[in-house]
Amino acid sequence: MADIQLSVEDLRKTFHPGLFESPIEVLKGLSFDVRRAEIFGFLGPNGAGKTTTIKAITELIYPDSGSISVCGLPHTSLEAKRKIGFMTESPYVYSHLTGREFLRFCAELLGVVRSQQEDRISRVLDDVGMAASGDRKMGAYSKGMLQRVAFGQALLGDPELLILDEPMSGLDPIGRRDVRDMILRQAAAGVTVFFSSHIIPDVEALCDRVAIVVDGRVRAVGTVRDLVSREADRYEVTFAGVSPEELSTRLLAHHVGSGEAWVRVSSEDRDALIRELADRGARLVSMNPMRATLEDLLMTHSEGVDR
Amino acid sequence: MRARTLVSLVVVGALLAVAVAAEVELGKIPREDPLGRELLYLPSPEMLKIMSLGNPGLAADILYLWSIQYYSGFKPDERFLYLETIYNLITDLDPLYFDVYRIGALIMGIQTGGDQAQLKKSVRRLFDKGLENLPESWQLAEAAAWDLFMRFQDQEAALHYAEIAAARPDASGRIKRMVGVWRDKGRVWTIDDSIEYWKRAADDAEDEYDRTMCASHLYDALVARDRNTLEAVLATYSERHGSCAESWGELIEAGLIREVPLDLVGKPYGIESSDCTIVAFKKIRDL
Amino acid sequence: MRAIRAIAVNTFREAIRDRILYLFIGFAIVMVISTKLFGMLTVGDEAKIVKDIGLAAMQFFSMLIAVMMSMLLISREVDNRTVFNILAKPVRRWQFVLGKYLGLVAIVAANLLLITLVLVVMVLIYTGQFDPMLVFAAAMTMLEMSVLAAFATLFAVLTRPILGSLMTLAMFVVGHMSADLWMLTRQLPGTFTRAVIATVYYLVPNLERFNFRTEVVHDLPIPPAAVGWAVVYASACVGVLLFLAALRFQTKDLK
Repeated sequence: MADIQLSVEDLRKTFHPGLFESPIEVLKGLSFDVRRAEIFGFLGPNGAGKTTTIKAITELIYPDSGSISVCGLPHTSLEAKRKIGFMTESPYVYSHLTGREFLRFCAELLGVVRSQQEDRISRVLDDVGMAASGDRKMGAYSKGMLQRVAFGQALLGDPELLILDEPMSGLDPIGRRDVRDMILRQAAAGVTVFFSSHIIPDVEALCDRVAIVVDGRVRAVGTVRDLVSREADRYEVTFAGVSPEELSTRLLAHHVGSGEAWVRVSSEDRDALIRELADRGARLVSMNPMRATLEDLLMTHSEGVDR
Repeated sequence: MRARTLVSLVVVGALLAVAVAAEVELGKIPREDPLGRELLYLPSPEMLKIMSLGNPGLAADILYLWSIQYYSGFKPDERFLYLETIYNLITDLDPLYFDVYRIGALIMGIQTGGDQAQLKKSVRRLFDKGLENLPESWQLAEAAAWDLFMRFQDQEAALHYAEIAAARPDASGRIKRMVGVWRDKGRVWTIDDSIEYWKRAADDAEDEYDRTMCASHLYDALVARDRNTLEAVLATYSERHGSCAESWGELIEAGLIREVPLDLVGKPYGIESSDCTIVAFKKIRDL
Repeated sequence: MRAIRAIAVNTFREAIRDRILYLFIGFAIVMVISTKLFGMLTVGDEAKIVKDIGLAAMQFFSMLIAVMMSMLLISREVDNRTVFNILAKPVRRWQFVLGKYLGLVAIVAANLLLITLVLVVMVLIYTGQFDPMLVFAAAMTMLEMSVLAAFATLFAVLTRPILGSLMTLAMFVVGHMSADLWMLTRQLPGTFTRAVIATVYYLVPNLERFNFRTEVVHDLPIPPAAVGWAVVYASACVGVLLFLAALRFQTKDLK
């Protein structure tokens, strides 16, 4: 039985913006588990409740009900917080501090022993590729540099669990690749990584398991492979000699080009389509299986939600 | 680019010139400035104290400085009518403010028009208030004595305050001597007596402040003496030549004096030819 | 404790590196030095005016710095996301509040020290003597400012930066006026007005209790009990305000 590093159960949260505004229910009973040493993705559209969930885990907001445990401890305990490395969505700017001073400040907050601080800070700066710029004021950093230092402060306490809120947002492709590499390195070292994102390719590329969050609830959880293969595959078929409108088989999509037609059918209807094409004397040009992507999955779940 | 800078400068310069011209024109327009209206808007001491947010001493300073500046300029006599109100306000804000009692009484005493009896009462009230709030101050009592003696020729009042001064702790010997002088109603106090007295007091003074005050009295006494002689000379010249002399040079030429008369600090006296009197340019700082 | 110290030091450092601070200090120093001008206008004791202006400037600029710096150092942090980084770590919310407060107090103290130095030198030039009572006045001003800083901390946690600063400013004004207003209105017939003013008087710290400026300028004796109780009073006020601030901050959702 794998160790559960993060457990969230039936989390609910409603915000009350003001006297004359109606309350907003953001989390509607959200539950999921994160296992030790896995990279877990929290995927969902904007407004799904990803950031609210993460803030609840880090005790920045207080949920109305539900339970959260971190590394087997209640998430409110200081001990639990010591095991977490947290990075917020956009880098905050202490523009008056250098990167090194900022990390020193974080190290003090974490309670890192003074004699070990400088070594650890240097090591972290190396890990995130900021060794050369560590002594410049953070006000002069680019967005990518800030993101890296922010990642660095999350590593400072040698955390067991990394919680990253949209770690790749706003970065150029090189920046995103850097963050991806850093995440993979941490995972290889045995650190559990939990991050939220709305960028599907990143999640597909990195995660062992994914939770799809839409409208305050987890809609689906599993490995990417499981999630996607659970849904029906489709096929794209190209042929000539018959117009798609004449076909009786259910089509998901069709298109007529010069001399050829293209249709998309579900895997159940695939055989029926082939028989019909043969009956009508059409010439089959090509047939390609289409696996559903996470994007499709997300769309499906989002459609049911009134936004 | 240079053309644009030039145009900008011209525009700004023109606007500034218009603003300055408007200001000058506004300054020329006579505005009614009845003293009553100004004082009407002075808040009560309690209100001022509240408004000062814990700095009543500073409020007193500001009002005091204003009063000095306002009353230094040459203006009609009516301005002195409300002096007592102002100095009462200041001393309510800061009851221990010695200078205000001293200088306030002095400024009140300068007025030569109006009801002199009432003025003397005002001066005495201010001094009495100060003497009540500053029970250790013999200097204030001494100032009161001399003001009333020299300015109002009231020997009885002078004696009253001299006795108060003499009774206060650490009172200087000189004021105790004056008690004796003023008790002796037969004794006539001359200007030479003043000069002698203040010279001695200045020499005996224990601190710089006291020495300066004594030198100031000495100066005034010397001016009083010189005034008599010099104005007599000016009168003689006027009789002979039909009009007042414009400068000391004319009097030297006429053989009436030998050299330009100087005051205590070596500055020449001036001649006010409109009424043929002497002007003394007294500055505390030079004493 | 380490967390409190780290937050206080970081706050202090942020203030030191912020250029607005130098503007204020510059103004304060110019103010004190320009007392020379006022000294020239008076007839009589120049030193009194120098001290009056200097002590008022000391109070006024310290107040300004407490108000403005609280906006920069505390409100801004609570309003922005920089506070997330701190509170996601093993740091309690009350430790954050206390650390911020101490940092703010430190910067006000540093500024006050500079102004006091300038004033002492000015008075030395005028009177030829070092007046230790000026240092005492500065210490009392510091007590007053520590109460004001506690207000600023509370308002920073309760509301937006600019509104919080305005409310702190209002506390300064009311804190000085309330005692006199209360004295004045005790004779008034209207019970409602009296009740309102009495409530304000008791709820808002009476900042006049830290005002010994008249005694300092006129060299009057100061009863030690007045000073002792002033310290107790300030401590109690600061305690209440910080407690309320921590309490509020504890339950606040940081959106």
